[in-house]
Amino acid sequence: MRISFQSGFRHALADIERTSEELARRQREVSSGLRLQAPSDDPTAAVGAVSENAALGAIDRYQRAADSVGSRLTVVDTVLGDIVEKLTQAQAVATGGLGDTPSQAQREAAARELAGIRDALFGDFNTNFRGVFVFAGTSSTTQTYTKNPDGTVAAYQGNTSTISVDIDRTSSVQITFDGSSVAQGGEARDVFAVIEALRADILAGDTPAIETGIADLKKAFDRAVRAQTQVGTDQKALEDQRLRLTDEKLGATERLSKLTEANMAEAISAMSRAETGYKAALGATATITRVSLMDYLK
Amino acid sequence: MSLFGTLTSASRSLDAQRFGLDVVGQNIANVNTAGYTRRTLDLAAIPPTTNLSAGGGVEVQGVRAIRDALLERRLWQETPAQTMQSAIANSLSVVEVALGDAGSSIDQKLTAFFDSFAGLSEDPTSATSRQEVLLQGQSLASSFSDMVSRLNIAQRDVDTRIRGDVDQVNSLVAQIAGLNESIGGATGSGANLQTLKDQQNEAVKALSGLLNVHVIQREDGGLDVTFGQGRPLVIGASNFAVTATPTGPLGLVTLTDANGVDIGAEVTSGSLGGYLKTRDTTIPGYVSRLDDIAYAVVTQVNTVHQAGFDLNGTAGLPFFTPLGAAAGAATAISVNAAVAGDPNRVVAAGVAAAGDNQAARQMADLRDARVMFGNTATMHDAWGRLVYQAGSDTRYARLEERSRGEVVLQIEALRDSVSGVSLDEEAANMIKFQRAYEANARFFTTIDSAIETLLNMVR
Repeated sequence: MRISFQSGFRHALADIERTSEELARRQREVSSGLRLQAPSDDPTAAVGAVSENAALGAIDRYQRAADSVGSRLTVVDTVLGDIVEKLTQAQAVATGGLGDTPSQAQREAAARELAGIRDALFGDFNTNFRGVFVFAGTSSTTQTYTKNPDGTVAAYQGNTSTISVDIDRTSSVQITFDGSSVAQGGEARDVFAVIEALRADILAGDTPAIETGIADLKKAFDRAVRAQTQVGTDQKALEDQRLRLTDEKLGATERLSKLTEANMAEAISAMSRAETGYKAALGATATITRVSLMDYLK
Repeated sequence: MSLFGTLTSASRSLDAQRFGLDVVGQNIANVNTAGYTRRTLDLAAIPPTTNLSAGGGVEVQGVRAIRDALLERRLWQETPAQTMQSAIANSLSVVEVALGDAGSSIDQKLTAFFDSFAGLSEDPTSATSRQEVLLQGQSLASSFSDMVSRLNIAQRDVDTRIRGDVDQVNSLVAQIAGLNESIGGATGSGANLQTLKDQQNEAVKALSGLLNVHVIQREDGGLDVTFGQGRPLVIGASNFAVTATPTGPLGLVTLTDANGVDIGAEVTSGSLGGYLKTRDTTIPGYVSRLDDIAYAVVTQVNTVHQAGFDLNGTAGLPFFTPLGAAAGAATAISVNAAVAGDPNRVVAAGVAAAGDNQAARQMADLRDARVMFGNTATMHDAWGRLVYQAGSDTRYARLEERSRGEVVLQIEALRDSVSGVSLDEEAANMIKFQRAYEANARFFTTIDSAIETLLNMVR
């Protein structure tokens, strides 16, 4: 086959262009650290990257939710722990008022102490976390309990519905609570009414009524403990979920990295090969164009 | 033959060998001229006129351009396929960039929008969270319309290239018609005719890179050129221009032939075919997919939003301005002005209680809802498919461009092996004609010397 001057150059130029394009691509890969510069580099990897980014977005969202819920549950747990403690104190104070032994002064002191416990419980049930009354159900902007002009506590102002927040595609955690389910449950009187009655009963030395009041406080104590246990369970589940989300994020990040990022050892090796190929193409072109019969004419 | 006759013959031979050197010089001079086909000198021995004559020497019969019509035609047939893929790859590279990187384009906006509702579900009465939902909704709507704008710009860029190609087509068909006229008027097989044919072939090759042409050889040496369904571009010395007329809201050009017939669908290859396909099919296809995603966002979000209750306890309004159909949704999507103007109208509650967050949670869950492609894919999946399609189209065009380019390169190599100038060959020819010239000169001197000897005899 005749090899024409133009043909030789055309092929040489095509080879130089191809190898220089490959070298430029490999250089970009090494300098940017990215294997996927554009979807056309690897369309399947590109769609995988979209999917993994969406998964990472969801994981980030659930992690933020878990953090927020965790903070809230910590507050609720602390408050419930305080309620349990106050109810324990109230039972002890009320028990001290039983029988004929306590003097009137002691009875009055016990009544005052119960008033203090009532106010402390009032504060606990009205706990506000970042503008939300956590024990008011879904009426989270409504103060859970208010006081009457005479200082007694009015009926529950919230509702019995609660709010949950998703911490995963399939799981959620309750973040507001029905305060009345702790303070009153299925009983006729809420804990504030029980304490008010106990104060009067202790002052009056009405032992049967005091015993009824103590029993009601015990029930309230049990409800608070149950609620705290539930919160504790949720906190444990939340912690497990956080660990799971961390693992999921690690997995998604690794998958995304494999799809989009360059394996530097491979990339540098490929760049080196591409550079060799480019130099070879340049060298071959220079060599073939140097040799001509014209050189031998005298 | 007399000595003087022999001297004349030697002189003619000297001329012939010198002419051979001229041809070599012409070939070397045009080694880099596009479309130039190498010339060879046709020499013939002048036969003896009598039994006592050895012959009249040599005569130049002409200069021949070495062409292979079959390879030329193969080149015209293969070039459009390569240039079409090249045009598609180049124009889609811009579209790829317009779509943005994974995780920082529409997909990221979708994530942020649904995240904002998840944030609202944590604090359903928060004014800040409601404002965030509105901001992310507006940002999502803007990202859709911005994307359509970018795709429209890409379409207009391609349209500009189409206009440029049409100008080139018209210029080339005018050139070919002019060459047809010149070739038809030229006589014999003179050097000028060969030059005209070189130019003709080069013009047809350039034209075949622009669109799928069909070439018919005329008896007078000219070429008739048609395309598509036999629509004429060049018939003899007449050329028929293609007209590009801006139409539609984007001002994209429509191509019509000399009779005003729309010929866009008939241009199926060449760079013009590639650009038309990208402008009229590929990019609108991407916009249509984008419309589908935007429409799904609007309908799904509105459905949940209208089923819930806002902060005032009233039934939710559509979050996005309702749309009648998917077509144009990516451009038209916008947050309902009534909601945008009052963050309290953002729905978070599933019941008429201000603190409830059921609707906000449902809205956040739309992120994973399979609402696209017959309820088999999420909105993110749909975006991923669009990215895949654009990447795949570009990659396919690039690979096809490369493989078609190899075919064209091989055909060009074959054509060059016949028609191209080889400097080595020309160097050899140069030696050949130089040596022949030297020998003929020596012969001339010898005959001249013989005549001198003869003349001295009679002195």
